[in-house]
Amino acid sequence: MTAKRKIKLNDISKNRGQPLIQPDVKDCMALPFDVGADDKIKPLTENQQNSYECSLDGISALSIPKPKTKEEEDKLVRSFLNGLEKLLSKENNFTFLLPLTLTLNYCAKCLACCEDCPVYLSSGRQEIYRPNYRSEVLRRIIKKYTSHGASLSGITDGDIELNWETIARLAELSYRCTICRRCSQGCSRGVDNGLITHELRKLFSQEMGIAPKELHDKGTVQQLNVGGSTGITPKTFKSMVAFMEDEIEEKTGKKMKIPVDKEDADILLIHNSGEFLSWPENPEAFAIIFEAAGLNWTLSSEIGGYEATNYGLWYDDVQFSRIVLQQIGIAHKLKAKKIVVGECGHAHKAIMVIADRLMTKDTYIPRESCFPVLEQIVASGKLKLDPQKNNFPVTLHDPCNVSRLMGIIEPQRNILHKIAPQFREMTPHGVNNFCCGGGSGFAIINSMNFADWRSSISGRMKMKQILSAFQDDMNPEVHKYVCAPCSNCKGQIRDLFRKYEIFEKYGIIYSGLVELIVNAMTDLREPYITWDELH
Amino acid sequence: MPSLSWLQIITILSFIFVIVAYSVKVRKYFRMPQNLRWDLYPIPHESGYKHGGSYFEEPEFWKKPRRINRFRDMLELAKQYFTMAAYIKRTPSYWMGLLPWHIGFYAIVTFDAFLWLDAILMKTIGIQIAASASIGGEILYYMTIVLALSSFILGTIGSIILLLKRIFDDKLRDYASPQNYFNYIFFLAVFVTGLAAWAIGDSTFGSYREFWAGVFSLQSVGISGIETAHVLLFALFLFYLPFTRSTHYITIPLSFLKIRSSDAPNFGGDVSDRKLQDALGLANQWSGPHIQTGKNWGEVVSNIPDTSAGGKK
Repeated sequence: MTAKRKIKLNDISKNRGQPLIQPDVKDCMALPFDVGADDKIKPLTENQQNSYECSLDGISALSIPKPKTKEEEDKLVRSFLNGLEKLLSKENNFTFLLPLTLTLNYCAKCLACCEDCPVYLSSGRQEIYRPNYRSEVLRRIIKKYTSHGASLSGITDGDIELNWETIARLAELSYRCTICRRCSQGCSRGVDNGLITHELRKLFSQEMGIAPKELHDKGTVQQLNVGGSTGITPKTFKSMVAFMEDEIEEKTGKKMKIPVDKEDADILLIHNSGEFLSWPENPEAFAIIFEAAGLNWTLSSEIGGYEATNYGLWYDDVQFSRIVLQQIGIAHKLKAKKIVVGECGHAHKAIMVIADRLMTKDTYIPRESCFPVLEQIVASGKLKLDPQKNNFPVTLHDPCNVSRLMGIIEPQRNILHKIAPQFREMTPHGVNNFCCGGGSGFAIINSMNFADWRSSISGRMKMKQILSAFQDDMNPEVHKYVCAPCSNCKGQIRDLFRKYEIFEKYGIIYSGLVELIVNAMTDLREPYITWDELH
Repeated sequence: MPSLSWLQIITILSFIFVIVAYSVKVRKYFRMPQNLRWDLYPIPHESGYKHGGSYFEEPEFWKKPRRINRFRDMLELAKQYFTMAAYIKRTPSYWMGLLPWHIGFYAIVTFDAFLWLDAILMKTIGIQIAASASIGGEILYYMTIVLALSSFILGTIGSIILLLKRIFDDKLRDYASPQNYFNYIFFLAVFVTGLAAWAIGDSTFGSYREFWAGVFSLQSVGISGIETAHVLLFALFLFYLPFTRSTHYITIPLSFLKIRSSDAPNFGGDVSDRKLQDALGLANQWSGPHIQTGKNWGEVVSNIPDTSAGGKK
């Protein structure tokens, strides 16, 4: 074990230029079967260390250039304080002012929330990853440095020195929490550290223009202007649909015309566009199921119509709202009766929950999760299914956005109980699940050495859960399946599995729910799930 | 001529102050704009509560009537107040101080409310409150004693445990502020003086009742030194409460019912549309490169500039 430094709250402004901690895998929670025992988090190169802010933990998610002069630093500090004032004003933060104010005011600092945080527990209880470390730093800054300090409950509490180092560390720290909000479930005062993370990220983006390029430049900006956060244009999308039709025919013998831009459809189905690029078997499986069930559905090829993601959910209310308006606009243009969201957790929450109060009488359109739709199809008997075709160990990962943050728990289980005879739960699961470690955008952030941190620390708990779910037979010849019905979760699990050679050593693959349903269809000539291709 | 003692006047003022201060704070929250949804499951009023489910599990939920169990909302809130069960698994030793401390607080407030009630009944219908009184008076007598002793004993135990936890637990100490320690010591003094007043003063609380009755009849009533100390500390306690995080006793329902459990689907409508229009009319002053600072929210989100964080406006 390496010696861990004792970190205090006000250390966040001290030891300028030096990382507060250097996370070491040896300090982390152990994984079963000694998985990742020799794992290392790659340090930044000397050049990167000299150019970018990394004084939190030697990791960089944001690639913030180091200010060159004291004047630059002071300007950034002033900008942060301006943003903080705005975050606490109704004009600039009507979206979350009440929940934020309540959360800032009523934390008892009992630290009970820490026992629920997968990042904190996985890291071997590193102080800076406590869910309320960043919250408490923020409270103390507000108390001491803003005009809202006096209105915060409590008389004292302001002993943090505010300098550029504090702000740079706080910015990085807002990307060490996946906003899974597990810590909030157990708080008897309703305090929500995930919300603090969310609001901090907003401040950095909306006031200072600081956000991971994967979320902003290549994410929401690209989505709004090009059509997809993956860079897929409408033209490319149409050629991908043609490719999917060919692949469906090749795999299943079914000749199919996937409906695109059909007006008056009952369903506008929107997928995370990452599926088309990385896992086309998922939207293909949706097409097979919806056609077999005789649904009146369509995809859209317009900008805003073929991308379900909304990364604004994680860091920027303005970008979030713009994307919602775009998506809703497409649905109305096509005169679709409802939007159904494919297997993408954050897209579910974005358009069904967070956007809900942005609907008016005129713009309202029903939005529905794919899971009850699929459950209804499976239960209807419209598909001929043989569970024996899925007679291998299967476990289910609950995406936080779908389970804890939307309460969709049973439909996917009801389906699995019908089609997967060896289905077993992870522990814990459902509404108490652990995040995959790729939540809130982490799965797509690969800046510098962040991907190492994500695999070794934020994904550690999920890795442990997956291995434990299959521990009765770890023979790689026995193929096992992690059903992860969420694009971002799949991205994270893919990276974990590659890093730790999980398929090669233990025969475990990951994929979605619809792939399992199609694999159980009796009229398919060949198995839909091809183990060697999927790993 | 009214002849209230200085202690009676302070007591009245402390009650008025705490009620007004709490009302002002809570009013501020109710006047905040409608926030976006921020659900967190399990939500007690949902029919799928047991497994953490919601109406989103039902196909075409918007076509079906919602089944809402408000009783369960209240029951779960009551559990938050009276068991704080979430702490048992996570931080059991902290819970052992926290629960008695809070129960002590609820009990001391209820004890004082009972003294008011006793006084009102004594002065209005002339009821006698004593061990040998009629059944009503006897019940009030014993309830007052039970409440007082529960409060003083549990509050004392809780204050001591929490104080020791904050002193000797490294992490709790780091997150504590000087005000935390002051609070524990101050509240301990309130509870301990109450206990002492009962033990060495008036074990029937008869003189307290007379003190309160005097307030109603505007007559000065004296009490013993130790009782004076307790009543004075309790009045100061009420003056002090609004400057602490104690408003959480009132805001917990707000956090649960208006934020994490506020999952009513919005289909648009006159009221919700007006709230949204009001919000979209607010001037957006954020300075990020992708935001047109100074325009209202409606204009900003309807406009998609071709910019990135580091790009042009």
